[in-house]
Amino acid sequence: MDPLTPDTKIAVQNVTKIFQSKQGKKQGQEVVALKDLSLEVKDGEFLVIVGASGCGKTTLLNLVAGFDKSSDGQILLDGKPVTGITPECGMIFQQYALFPWKTVQENVEFGMKMKRMPRKDRKARGDRFIDIVGLKGFERSYPHHLSGGMKQRVSIARSLANDPKVMLLDEPFAALDAMTRQVLQEQLVRIYEKHRKTIIFITHSIDEALLLSSRIMVMTARPGRIAQEIINDLPYPRNAEVQLSSRYMELKRMIWDSVQAEVMKSMEVEAD
Amino acid sequence: MEINTPSKSLAVSIVSLVIFITTWELICRLGFIEPLFLPAPSQILSRAVKMIENGQLISHTLASTRRVMVGFFVSSMVAIPFGIFLGSSRFFMAVFDPIISLLRPLPSMSWIPLSLLWLGITETQKYSIVFMGSFAPSLLYIIEATKSIDPLLIRAARNLGASKLDVMKEVILPGSLPQIIAGLKVMLGIAWTCIISAELVAAREGLGFMIMNGKEYFQTDTVLLGMVMISITVMVIDVVFRKFERRLLPWTR
Repeated sequence: MDPLTPDTKIAVQNVTKIFQSKQGKKQGQEVVALKDLSLEVKDGEFLVIVGASGCGKTTLLNLVAGFDKSSDGQILLDGKPVTGITPECGMIFQQYALFPWKTVQENVEFGMKMKRMPRKDRKARGDRFIDIVGLKGFERSYPHHLSGGMKQRVSIARSLANDPKVMLLDEPFAALDAMTRQVLQEQLVRIYEKHRKTIIFITHSIDEALLLSSRIMVMTARPGRIAQEIINDLPYPRNAEVQLSSRYMELKRMIWDSVQAEVMKSMEVEAD
Repeated sequence: MEINTPSKSLAVSIVSLVIFITTWELICRLGFIEPLFLPAPSQILSRAVKMIENGQLISHTLASTRRVMVGFFVSSMVAIPFGIFLGSSRFFMAVFDPIISLLRPLPSMSWIPLSLLWLGITETQKYSIVFMGSFAPSLLYIIEATKSIDPLLIRAARNLGASKLDVMKEVILPGSLPQIIAGLKVMLGIAWTCIISAELVAAREGLGFMIMNGKEYFQTDTVLLGMVMISITVMVIDVVFRKFERRLLPWTR
């Protein structure tokens, strides 16, 4: 294993994750979700992991967040192993995971409240992040009065306000309509440029990966491994012009080729 | 007739009540039924007036209401935190499960003899009957309610730095509150059953005592008046409880 460079934020080292399947025909059988997977994320990097469904992307993110323990190998955050759930890796879920009984304000302030931050400071900082995601005026609304896109913005504000070292986003825009998705993608890029958080973002959309990332990894189907790594050198802002450039097309073709091969492989596995 | 507004259905309900009482009154007035067997509504009403004047009706009603409220309050205050704790810990659930399973099938009535031996005919004995009758079922309602929480929310809370205790306070309690309250409403009805049974067996005041005492003196009107008072009191408390519920659950509006 190479020695870690000083600006390595997260190092996933030879991680294997095996599940016991709990139901169905394959009960008791072992499923290898990740096998001997290694990757590094540098400080301030926007890494997007692309892969077909069931390739273990979410499993990987759950391990980094400490929700789950790896069967083998280790994950380092700032050189220290992740041993349990850590607020330093803020997770954004596809299903938003907002607390329905808390207002937008209370949701955004949740992490700070857990840190026992004084109410006044909490409010000031909460207001700032509510403003950043463009939800000023909705502070007192309950989540069920908000649209999907607004809910995800609350969730992003809630995570940012908690000041995590790393943000983990698990297909955060997959449940949104195309228009809303685009608005949120642009907003996320702006937030990234301004706050320079280290981000690991998971998606199955190649366009989303190209639009957001500074680096892209393509994951193989079970067992999950890294198939390809691409440095995304497209210029910012990644507007319509960039999306029509030949470099964009070239990268998209490259990713699609390797994703396609993986999808075909996984379909064969399913058929067995 | 088509009922399409709340006021219309209220009107129908009132007419129905008036017809019911008038028919009852007429049957008694026309001498079809012996007053000792079933007194007329007017007779019950005049008994009510008498008992309001001498203060007995109010004091019996208040006595029973107080007993229900104290017993129910103590039982809920213990059952809610304990239920949330058990709902979030598989280990302690396994520890307490056999005890709860043993207590649960016992009707509150079966505690009356033991409570009389231990505590005598006292107020504490009344409270303890309400407590014993409502505690185990409340606890089960609350444990069940904690299971309705989306595990993703617990994950999200932990990810934002919540400790396990924080999760209970900030996620499991508020998240299961709508179902806890629904369960407690049912339990309040059971608490009334408990107290009336306890008062029927041994008491010096309360609506159950009033009914039993009425029976001893062949005052059928007092018996029926006691029963009517139980209905009215439970209905009033239910309305108050509902108001309270709306304030506790602002996000469900």
